[in-house]
Amino acid sequence: MKYKDYYATLGVERGASEEDIKKAYRKLARKYHPDVSKEKDAEEKFKEVGEAYEVLKDAEKRAAYDQMGSYQPGQDFRPPPDWGNRFSSGADSQGFQDLGDIDLFDLLAGLNRGRARGARGDAEFRMPGQDFEAHVQVRLDDVIKGIEIEIPVASTEMAEDGTVRRTTRTVKVRIPKGATDGQRLRVPGKGGQGMGGGRAGDLYLDIKLEPHELYKVDGHDLYLEVPVAPWEAALGASAEIPTPSGKVNLKIPPGSRAGQKLRVRGRGLPRPHGGESGDLYAVLQIVTPSVLSEAEKELYGKLAQASSFNPRAHFG
Amino acid sequence: MSSETYFAALFTEHSDVALDELVQASGLTAEEIVELVEHGVLTPISAPPARLPSSAWRFSATTIAIGRRASRLKTDFDLNVSGLALALTYLERIEALEQELNRLRCSLLR
Repeated sequence: MKYKDYYATLGVERGASEEDIKKAYRKLARKYHPDVSKEKDAEEKFKEVGEAYEVLKDAEKRAAYDQMGSYQPGQDFRPPPDWGNRFSSGADSQGFQDLGDIDLFDLLAGLNRGRARGARGDAEFRMPGQDFEAHVQVRLDDVIKGIEIEIPVASTEMAEDGTVRRTTRTVKVRIPKGATDGQRLRVPGKGGQGMGGGRAGDLYLDIKLEPHELYKVDGHDLYLEVPVAPWEAALGASAEIPTPSGKVNLKIPPGSRAGQKLRVRGRGLPRPHGGESGDLYAVLQIVTPSVLSEAEKELYGKLAQASSFNPRAHFG
Repeated sequence: MSSETYFAALFTEHSDVALDELVQASGLTAEEIVELVEHGVLTPISAPPARLPSSAWRFSATTIAIGRRASRLKTDFDLNVSGLALALTYLERIEALEQELNRLRCSLLR
C-alpha cells in the first residue's frame, strides 16, 4: 500500500487542531475547487485536498491513520501488525497480508462503512452507488457524426465482508450527434454499484472539444477565417470555402471590410434531436501579397494615382 | 467485461425531469431545491412555481448540471442556501461573460 501524507497535503503539522485543519481545508478548497478555480490541475489537487480532509476531520479515521505511522509520500508500507485489530471492526478477515493494491483512503473509508453496517444490521443496509464524473475530449468530426468511446471508470467496490477494492472497468458509451463543447451528458446506471440492493450511480460526462486547425467553436456555431485579396474585397468575388459538411461557394460582396462576418446558414454543428444545425461564420481577412511583381506594382501605382479614397479622412 | 454500448443522454432543453429526479441526480434535498427556486436560481419550466405544488414541478434537464454543482459547493464549502444562491448567481454570470468573450474571440482575426 502506498503512503499518502495527508498533513502535508493540507499544509498542517501532524499535531494540528481540528480548527486548523478546517481552516487549511477551506483555504485550499477556495483555491482549487473545480467549480471556481482556474488553476491548472485544479480538479486533481482538489481531489487530494478533499481526501486528506475527509480523513483528518474525522477523529476516528485520523486516529487510525496516525497509528499507521509516518512514511514518505508514495512509499510502500504496511500498517503495524496490531493495527487491524484496533481499528478495523469487521475487517480482521482482511488480514493485511495483501494490501498491495489497496488505496489508503479506501481502507480508512472502509472502516467506518464496516461499522455503520454492523450498527444498522445487514438487512437494513441499503446505499445507492456513487455517481462518477468523467471529462471527455472529442474531435469536431466526432460530434458531427456521433461517436462511440471507451471510458475507463475507476470504482471502489465493497465486498460482502466489508473489504474494499479499487477496480477499473471500461464503459463503452455512444456520444450522440449534437453534443458540443461544454455540454454534459449522463449515462444512467453506469456509476458505482449500489449496496444492499441500492440503485447504481450514474456516469456523468463533460464534453470538451479539441481545438480545430480551421474552425473556432461557439456553441453550435463555427467561425472560419477566410483570407481574401484586396481586389476581391473591393470588387466582390466568389470563394470556395470548407465546411464540416463539404465545400461551399461563399459570395463576397463588393466593398467588403476586414473582420466582416458572412453567415453561411446551417453549416455549423448539428443540434441534438434533429434541430436545425448551427451556422458557420466566414470572417474576412484581407491579405496583401508579400512580394509584388513589376506588373502588380505598376497597377497598384496607377490605382494610387487614380483613387481619391482617403482611409484616414476622419483624422481631420 | 461487458462489451455492450450505453447511450449517453444530452442535457438539453428538450428533456425535462421531475423534482424527485432532480433530488436524486443532484444530491440536494427537495427543501433545498424549493429554496433555490424561491431565490430564483433554479426555475421550473412548468407553470409559475407558486401555482403548483413542488411535487408537480418539472425542470429542464440542463438544471441537473446546475443542481450537481450546487450540491458540490454546498458540501465542499459548508454553504447555506443563501450563500449557495449567491455563488451560483455569480458563477452563472461568469459563464455568460466567458461565453461572450469566446464569441468575440471567435470573430477576431489571428
